Amino acid sequence: MNILIYGIVNSVVFALMAVGFTLVYGVSRLPNFAHGGLYILTGFIAWTFFNTVGMNYAVAIVLSLIVTALVGAAIYQFILIRVRGMEASEIIASFAIGLALMEGLRWGGFIKRTYTLPVFVGGTVYIAGTPIDWQRLIIIGGGLAVVAFLWLFTHYTKVGLALRAIAQDERAAMMLGIDSDLSAVIALALGSALAGLAAVAILPLGNISVEAGYNVLTYAIAVCIVGGLGSWPGAVMGAFVLGFAQILTVYFIGAQWQMVVVFLAIILTLILRPSGLFGRQKELEERV
Amino acid sequence: MELKARRKERLDRGIKVRTEGIYAVSSLREIAYLMMPRLVLILGLLIVPLVLPNMYWQRVICIACIFALLALAFDFLAEFVGIICLGGALFIGVGGYIAGVSNSWFGLSPALTIPIATLLGAVISTLILLPCLPLRGIYFAIISLMYPLVLPRIIEALHLFGGTDGIAGLATFPNIWVDQYLIIAIVLVAVFALRRLVNEDIGLVLHGIKDNDQAVRASGMSITWYKAQAVFIAAAIGCFAGAYLSHLYGWAGISLFGLDFSILPIAACVLGGPGTLVGPVLGAFILTPLSEMLRAFGALRIVFYCLILVGFIVFKPEGLMNYFQRKYHQFEHWIEV
Amino acid sequence: MKKKTLLTLAVSMCLVLISVPSFMAGCKAPAPTGAPIILGAPLSMGHPDGVCTQDNLKLAVDEINAAGGVNVAGVMRPFQLEVIDSRDLEPGVPTSEALLVVEKLILDKKANFIIGGPIRSEAALAAMDTVSKYKTVSILSSGVLTPAYDPKVAADYEKYKYCFRTTGSSKEHIAEALTILDSLKLTYGFNKVFIMVQDVAFATAAGDKIKAGLEEKGWSVVGYEKYPSGSTDFSVGLLKARDAGAQILIPWFDMPEASILVKQWYDLKVPALPVGFMVAAEDSNAWKALEGKCAYVVHLYPKAGIARTDAIPQAEKYIDAYKKAFGGVEPGLTWVAPTSYQVVYILKDAIERAGSIDANAIIAALEKTDMLGIYGRIKFDPKSHQIVYSMDPAEGAVTTWVQWVDGKRVAVYPPKVATDTIKLPAWMKK
Repeated sequence: MNILIYGIVNSVVFALMAVGFTLVYGVSRLPNFAHGGLYILTGFIAWTFFNTVGMNYAVAIVLSLIVTALVGAAIYQFILIRVRGMEASEIIASFAIGLALMEGLRWGGFIKRTYTLPVFVGGTVYIAGTPIDWQRLIIIGGGLAVVAFLWLFTHYTKVGLALRAIAQDERAAMMLGIDSDLSAVIALALGSALAGLAAVAILPLGNISVEAGYNVLTYAIAVCIVGGLGSWPGAVMGAFVLGFAQILTVYFIGAQWQMVVVFLAIILTLILRPSGLFGRQKELEERV
Repeated sequence: MELKARRKERLDRGIKVRTEGIYAVSSLREIAYLMMPRLVLILGLLIVPLVLPNMYWQRVICIACIFALLALAFDFLAEFVGIICLGGALFIGVGGYIAGVSNSWFGLSPALTIPIATLLGAVISTLILLPCLPLRGIYFAIISLMYPLVLPRIIEALHLFGGTDGIAGLATFPNIWVDQYLIIAIVLVAVFALRRLVNEDIGLVLHGIKDNDQAVRASGMSITWYKAQAVFIAAAIGCFAGAYLSHLYGWAGISLFGLDFSILPIAACVLGGPGTLVGPVLGAFILTPLSEMLRAFGALRIVFYCLILVGFIVFKPEGLMNYFQRKYHQFEHWIEV
Repeated sequence: MKKKTLLTLAVSMCLVLISVPSFMAGCKAPAPTGAPIILGAPLSMGHPDGVCTQDNLKLAVDEINAAGGVNVAGVMRPFQLEVIDSRDLEPGVPTSEALLVVEKLILDKKANFIIGGPIRSEAALAAMDTVSKYKTVSILSSGVLTPAYDPKVAADYEKYKYCFRTTGSSKEHIAEALTILDSLKLTYGFNKVFIMVQDVAFATAAGDKIKAGLEEKGWSVVGYEKYPSGSTDFSVGLLKARDAGAQILIPWFDMPEASILVKQWYDLKVPALPVGFMVAAEDSNAWKALEGKCAYVVHLYPKAGIARTDAIPQAEKYIDAYKKAFGGVEPGLTWVAPTSYQVVYILKDAIERAGSIDANAIIAALEKTDMLGIYGRIKFDPKSHQIVYSMDPAEGAVTTWVQWVDGKRVAVYPPKVATDTIKLPAWMKK
């Protein structure tokens, strides 16, 4: 029972981290390696709003999400738009920006161990004899809500449908008048906000440290590769596969291997089935 | 009113045209024109250790050369073969550990461990990267970024090779002059050898793979085999740098796989001029001393790198070397359209 | 016209502002006249350990200089602190950076001594060769808890005699941990433990030795988990501990994610008392930051001097001086605070006794060190250059195990330093 509940928690955590990355890649084929940096940026901005400026917690969170979304949109509009289409440059440029964000935060003094965000609701609850704290339950609920929201957004709103159109077939969508660049800006803003949402949900479990940014990027990429780059159900499935793989490894083999398991999953996927579980790329296009 | 438009026109310089083909040796002037940049590079690199103020700066040059080798490997793979290898740290780590283990467990001297590490390391790196060679660029990029993050975890978990403490107390080079001239010589050899290589037949095939791999495949050549060869060469360069590093300070540890070794060469390559194998070397020699001088700023240093990297990659992707080459070989003037 | 008066006003204000402090400075002890003794500190400034070390080094250096400097055979010479960021504690940075910084300090900044760092064990072990090559005395005061350091010095004394360490080796900490556990066994009848360590050399060494020691004494170790750096989930381990009925949890972590462990332990109300090395609980603001969830955690500070205790009067002076210099904050950003403050005084004492700053003279003087400092009596083992431990601050250097109770850190061990006994968490009282 422990395994089931905490496996779900772990998987949803991974899913939250990865959904922003997969959204951006799915819509505009941009690997946003600044994902980790945006995650941490939101955490620290929320902390600053809450502690230094003294705002109400909920307001601080919402504002920090908005700020991160704007940062994401700015990254696209001023930098990534100019290297669109050149994969190498996109990866390098976005990675460099993410690194600049994280190291900038480190230089700005955010290095102590006492930067924490308070949990939304304190307390513990017992499910079938397994104790679990409310924050983790909120994460599960929040994760499912995010997935549901994305599904509804991309199926029933005009903007969402436009994003989905660009994701499916860019040329056809452009012929219908959907602006590719504008979609990319929206996608990147949304993706950054999702990264931020993951941050404010997950960071209260521990503390905010710059090193977590690197780990988040790794997890996001791992989930996306296992699930298939660019596929949204793939990201969710990949998250569950990795989340349970990690928990099962810890439970049965030993906690030492929990990070190695994640990497091995990436390597195995790339060797055996590079398009991942639900990848949209046909094998021929990616194998030479 | 008539609209007068102007545009820039670039023409080859006279002397460049006069040095085409056999006429390159027609007089000293032509020879000098062609030889000058190369001589400046060689003599410059050879003289640098002699003019530096103190030993600390000579050390910095050694580190700069290590980054130059990595940047060279990255440039070769990215521009001449079409493979984006974001994991220079993998080569450094593999080469460094093999040299460290050969020296501390088997007691071999640096003269033996370095060649062993270079070749064995290249073989191992190529083998572990082999499964992703057939895949599209982004997958190789991701997996080459991931390997330097996985391998230290495995070493950590299995407590191999000294675990998180690393292996210290390795043999070092006899004196600072050997340190520097060894690596400078290798940098020069690598630059000129690679430049020669890309003009040979195999270089043509690699370039073809970059441009249109299906066409090469249709000609009956195995793409994976040629890519593997290219990765082997780049890995050999990287592993040499790693083995050299571990004997420079007498230490090997899991931080050999650090992200710094992956990022800085890319920045050096982009700054220096991708596509010209000399550009990355130049970039490394600019960035490393710059980084030392900026040390007072702490983490802001990395922010500078990244901003320079982004700035160059977005606004001036041709880099410095391409710019210089263009200016050297061509002149521009405005003409009316 | 108005501009001119404004300008003259501004200039005169500046003159006044400049003259006041210089007047004040003139009123203090006479400034040291000799050439400065340069202390090189390769610290990782992007990490709390590095910042803490720098703060405390500076505090000590300022105090010494204000009191006149160091008496080197009759000439008063000031200390000059040179700190360079070595980034060795940041992930992804190769140790060669730290070594380059050590070389820069020695060759470029002409440092006479290397103090404080490098902080990461791997870097410090590698730096041993570097400082020995340049025959510069190096005294570590932060990090480097690996048990591999002092045996290296003892094994090749002639080569590594320049290396001294004032932080600890996890060996002594293990012995103390075992003693604490024994006393808990006596008081409460506990006999089951669950060990959780970070997968780095010093922590796994501690974990292995504690396990072996406990099993010898008849305890039952119901679980032993090693977590790689960066792990974010400890639920499985905690639940295993709970299900197996462990009464004591032994964590040994030096990573920021350990805060997740503390919070989870508290939220899950695991009926086990955490006793170990938990950096998440060591900052003076930890109670507030963790929303009180570090209550009842017993954390090891490898050196005393952070929590107030009657047994060591110097510690009280240090805590007050720190509070005055840093705006009312109690020391304890990380555990390296007292060691970094003390190391400067150790060096001063050695220089004054040796009468010179020649390396061999200093080495001989350091080996004979016998002074009372803020964490007890300070002596170095002459063969391994490791600071000597004891349970009694009058005999050697002591650690302090503190427990967080009601928002305050209470020293609970060693007995000579303790101000209270260990309390059990509220949900453990059956």
